[in-house]
Amino acid sequence: MTTKNLDKEALQAKFAEKFPKAEAIGEPAEGAAPTNLKGYLTMKLAASSDIIPVLRWLKDDLGFSYLDMATAIDWKGPVELDGYIREPNPNVFLPDGATPQVAQPLPHKTVNYRDAFELVYLVSNLEARLKVCLKFDIPRDGGSVETAIPVHRGADWREREIFDLFGITFTGHPNLIKILTPDFLIGHPLRKDYKHIKDRFDD
Amino acid sequence: MGVVLDSLPGVAGVLPGGAGVLARVDDLINWSRKSSLWPMTFGLACCAIEMMGAYANRFDFDRMGVIPRPSPRQADLIIIAGTVVKKMADPIIQVYKQMPEPKFVISYGSCSNCGGPYYDSYSVVKGVDKIIPVDIYVAGCPPRPEALQFGLMQLQKKIESMKLSKGGGAVPLQEKGARDFG
Repeated sequence: MTTKNLDKEALQAKFAEKFPKAEAIGEPAEGAAPTNLKGYLTMKLAASSDIIPVLRWLKDDLGFSYLDMATAIDWKGPVELDGYIREPNPNVFLPDGATPQVAQPLPHKTVNYRDAFELVYLVSNLEARLKVCLKFDIPRDGGSVETAIPVHRGADWREREIFDLFGITFTGHPNLIKILTPDFLIGHPLRKDYKHIKDRFDD
Repeated sequence: MGVVLDSLPGVAGVLPGGAGVLARVDDLINWSRKSSLWPMTFGLACCAIEMMGAYANRFDFDRMGVIPRPSPRQADLIIIAGTVVKKMADPIIQVYKQMPEPKFVISYGSCSNCGGPYYDSYSVVKGVDKIIPVDIYVAGCPPRPEALQFGLMQLQKKIESMKLSKGGGAVPLQEKGARDFG
């Protein structure tokens, strides 16, 4: 079956038929931070157990054979933005004689903070030039996901990276060990509750 | 090196035919050392791109006798060009210890000077001088190739001040920190 003529709307219709519980994430409401991937179909899966059937279906039936990316997001919050986001200074390149302007604070967008990790998978159909972004939540404490290696072999190192930086375990992964951080680093640095323990290279 | 250098003044005096050059041994040794600084090919981050620019034809490090070597055992200078992460710290110490004496270190760029923009990071060493001794610091993010050339000229000046009677820089004076021959 060729999938060359597949487009975003047809894909969404197929999703509604096959996985009716998955909902499409559209453009963000006014003042809200976007959670969709701009220009691509973004689907929020109902449960973490859906991911392997969805990936298998996308690969075998619809030709989404390439796993672009697999990553995670820590939605613990709210985050104190002071110190993280610097307000723009309008007086940096002020011409001579111009009156200095008062900096306007950035509009802080509302973010859906929750006590969860969000897994993000991006798979693409190279023939139809189409990508689809899959998202689902898992609990922050002791959350685990089934490994995607049987479907996409390239998920191996992505899942090791997620495990290393977030502490999410993947059941069925053949070699779930650290990949980026050195052996002496304790903890998972991209968790928002990460506390750095001083090692021999710190003062 | 010791045997040759120790007997060099005597050898120079009895050169056949009387064709000899009278020079201080320190000057001769330091001149040859500073004129053929062979750095190790070692780049860690974006600063390495500027370092490559310094090697290439527009800035032309070759005319200063600087020829990159592929092995630490053939090099007497290491340019730490880029961010030193904690996972890379042990390999850097290992490579540094493999270099023959006398050896020199140029810390190139903000990251290897002090951690730079990654000072608050959990994974970055706050300056390469926390793990090996550094002779010259080049400031910038990243510094221009001219800055590296100026740093190398400063290192050459520093090498001119080395004295054989004080070990000639051929012994490690210290384990880490900013190094001064004194």
